[in-house]
Amino acid sequence: MLEELHLFGVYLPAALVWAVIAGVSAHVLRGLFQRWTWFKLFGPAGVLELALFALLWLGLTVVADAFFNQGA
Amino acid sequence: MIKQWTMAMVRTLATALAIAALLFAVHALWLRYQVEPVTRDGKVVADIVPVATDVAGLVTQVCVHDNQTVQQGQVLLVIDPSRYSLALQQAQANVGNLRASLAQAVREDRRNRSMTNVVASEVIEQGQTKVEQLRMALAQAVAARDLAQLNLDRTVIRAPVSGQVANMTLQPGIYMTVGKAALALVDTPSLRVEGYFEETKLQRIHVGDAVSVHLMGVSGTLRGHVQSIASAIEDRERTGDVARLANVNPAFTWVRLAQRIPVRVVIDYVPAGIRLVPGQTATVVVHSPDAKQDLWSW
Repeated sequence: MLEELHLFGVYLPAALVWAVIAGVSAHVLRGLFQRWTWFKLFGPAGVLELALFALLWLGLTVVADAFFNQGA
Repeated sequence: MIKQWTMAMVRTLATALAIAALLFAVHALWLRYQVEPVTRDGKVVADIVPVATDVAGLVTQVCVHDNQTVQQGQVLLVIDPSRYSLALQQAQANVGNLRASLAQAVREDRRNRSMTNVVASEVIEQGQTKVEQLRMALAQAVAARDLAQLNLDRTVIRAPVSGQVANMTLQPGIYMTVGKAALALVDTPSLRVEGYFEETKLQRIHVGDAVSVHLMGVSGTLRGHVQSIASAIEDRERTGDVARLANVNPAFTWVRLAQRIPVRVVIDYVPAGIRLVPGQTATVVVHSPDAKQDLWSW
């Protein structure tokens, strides 16, 4: 499990880093998706963005836990 | 009309799907970060033995240097033995003196008792008392001699355990008082990891569970297993001694943090090239048998 990330001498909790990446990615993806008509199927756009954020956060966590070695 | 109804249904279903995905992800994240027994608050720990002098005096010899590995019984430092050698000689002379006096008193007593017709009973009794007194005085002197010998032996300070010398700044010529710590000895065989787990995660930790340990900034994983869980921690809301009435702090807090419970982890495997230093920060992951299935069981 990857619990922390070493960034320029500072050890950050991995959960925080993944959350920030997921949040930014979800926001960018929402902008892209809004160009497509099928996006209107989801009703409130915030719901999809929130779901995207949580899924991306979980995805990043699972991938990091599986492939990255702690302390690397 | 039908098309509008169909669109509304699709929109509702799609939104419900998004909400379901959101709830699933939040639940999985909650399990991963709040329930699974993982902590970044771990430390490499070893028992530290503070080595103190049992007799006072000047340090004449320092036989070890900082961070040196020593074996149990190895000489660490020597206190000036001159005063204690003289005290031993004095005690030995005192023992000899009393032995001679006792031998003389015994002879006199034996002679007096063999001539009861010419020696008064009072004199015989006095002789016997003198013998008893001298026997006791001799026992006292022997104890004093043994104590002097013990003090002399204690001028040589030996390592009580095998380990590594730490924080050693002692130099010859420094005066040591009785009980003053001279140096610290790290009991290397007692090296272990202690993970400070939130109390909410304790139910998932069992004695014998496999553990992975990651040291801060060090690549590679140490393996171990849970040896024990702390039997008690201090109640910070309550003060007072055992024999006094309870004094409980009447604090009320909206937000409370989970307390940390130390979990002791025995190290089974250390990858080559990794050096363990007591005090190092470690991330401790307990591989609880029921953790993984719970993540996806929702």
